[in-house]
Amino acid sequence: MKSIRKSNFLLFMLPSVIALLLVLAIPLGYSLITSFFDTNLKYQGLGEFVGLQNYIDVIKDVYFRDSVKTTLIFTVGVVILEFLAGLVIALLLNNIRKGRNLFFTIIIVPMMITPIAVGLIWRLLLHSDLGIVNYVLSLFGISGKAWLADASLALKTVMFIDIWQNVPYMVLVILAGLVTLPTEPYEAAAIDGASRTQSFFRLTIPMMLPTFSVVLLLRTITALKTYDLIFVLTRGGPGSTTEVISYHIYQQAFRYLEIGKASAMSYLLLLLIIPIAFLFIKISRSRTV
Amino acid sequence: MYNRKSKIEVALTYVVLTIITLFFLLPLLWILRTSLITKAEAYQIPPNWTAALTLDNYINIFVGNPFGQYFFNSFFIALVTTLISVLLGAMSSYWICRCAKRGNQLRMAILVTQMIPPVVMVIPLSLLVKSLGLDDSYFALIMSYLSFNLPYVIWMLLSHFESIPRELDDACAVDGCTQLQAYFRVVLPLVMPGIMATAVYSFVVCWNEFMFALNLTGLNTRTLPVAIASLDTQQGVMIAELCASTIVAILPIIFLTIFIKKYLVQGLTYGSVK
Repeated sequence: MKSIRKSNFLLFMLPSVIALLLVLAIPLGYSLITSFFDTNLKYQGLGEFVGLQNYIDVIKDVYFRDSVKTTLIFTVGVVILEFLAGLVIALLLNNIRKGRNLFFTIIIVPMMITPIAVGLIWRLLLHSDLGIVNYVLSLFGISGKAWLADASLALKTVMFIDIWQNVPYMVLVILAGLVTLPTEPYEAAAIDGASRTQSFFRLTIPMMLPTFSVVLLLRTITALKTYDLIFVLTRGGPGSTTEVISYHIYQQAFRYLEIGKASAMSYLLLLLIIPIAFLFIKISRSRTV
Repeated sequence: MYNRKSKIEVALTYVVLTIITLFFLLPLLWILRTSLITKAEAYQIPPNWTAALTLDNYINIFVGNPFGQYFFNSFFIALVTTLISVLLGAMSSYWICRCAKRGNQLRMAILVTQMIPPVVMVIPLSLLVKSLGLDDSYFALIMSYLSFNLPYVIWMLLSHFESIPRELDDACAVDGCTQLQAYFRVVLPLVMPGIMATAVYSFVVCWNEFMFALNLTGLNTRTLPVAIASLDTQQGVMIAELCASTIVAILPIIFLTIFIKKYLVQGLTYGSVK
């Protein structure tokens, strides 16, 4: 029996294990090693062993700290706004029968398309001279703005575009949760004379809490990884006002060729994400049977 | 009936939903419109609302630029990655579900890999790929896509295999099937809907991927997201052609969204809704 188990392991698991070792474990290990060396692509090989110096340099680095701050502002902002907008839209959709499918299908399109396309689309729409947005605003007597070139506006504009793309995700998951809620508690509440506001706060919110926490955590993790949108929209600029961590690391590695430092930053980014990931796992596991 | 809604409230809901839907739809329609008018008219502000429609921009990007090749690259890479992920992932998922001793730890490890930011992977992967002389090859990009796609497939399919009763496997064993036969002949057909859902979403993720493709592809293997991003930087604002190529990149995904929406929804709720 045991040998059958073993041969089945080889059959069912080995291909995946080999593939994941090659494409996941080895690169991650390589990255961890280079984070302790002053590896630079300008020179051959790993360079000198510097211990924790890269980590110390990176934590002291003002630009890195700024990128962490920008990422946190971006993440907190978009996650909260996307959640609230997604909740409202999902509740509205849950309230209707006719046409729900049509509305829903159109609304979820933005999240399915590549962020590169989303960025390009909005760059054209928001172009300060040729864009339709400033033209439409001018019809109402509002003067157009340089949405992505103005240092005080760029981050907000990027966040707005991210919201356009990712509210649909919130709608999708929250609506999927809402339609599976049992109806009996609502009937009982109505018999007891509860108002709809009361049943929303006393029934819907508590019953939806697990779904809420899962989407909030998952979306937080994906928002912390944001890169593509920044690449097409602003390249981190103007100045470094929209330079999020991923973009900063990418520049460090492929523009300045500082692989050692970039690897150290990568691991710091992982340290930021892992606690959220474990929280997510804990919550979603307590819900699976 | 509980909490009967007034007619005014229902009407108001429709009005608000229409406005919201237009907010998501109009930007896409505007790009579609711009892709169908001449270059000169694309620059006009205020817009010429009665501009004649033409397919010239689409013809240009396919004739003047190798967009046909890019389209094929995207399609081929996404398809092969998905096939490999599903083939390997489904077997592993089944084994983890049925036989693994430390199933829970394995599950956690798989889920954690989903949280790794692409920028963390792209640095070592591109160094390794270049040192092996594999840059600008389909092989390198497909392998690197497996790093996020294979764990995703394994994770998604776990709950599908769990929903198939173990007694079924036992019955097969009693009838003299090997585990491999039981898997292919009995269990696999039953989880096909789940596999379809997972495969569709995995295809979409590969089709849309940018950062790995940016670093690992060259002229021969460039995918659509990289192609449209570089069209943008090379030629300034070629508005009409840029719109046409954007539409080419997103249209297949929009069709997928419309026709297999049910699968997409399943692939995305990601264990968050049971």
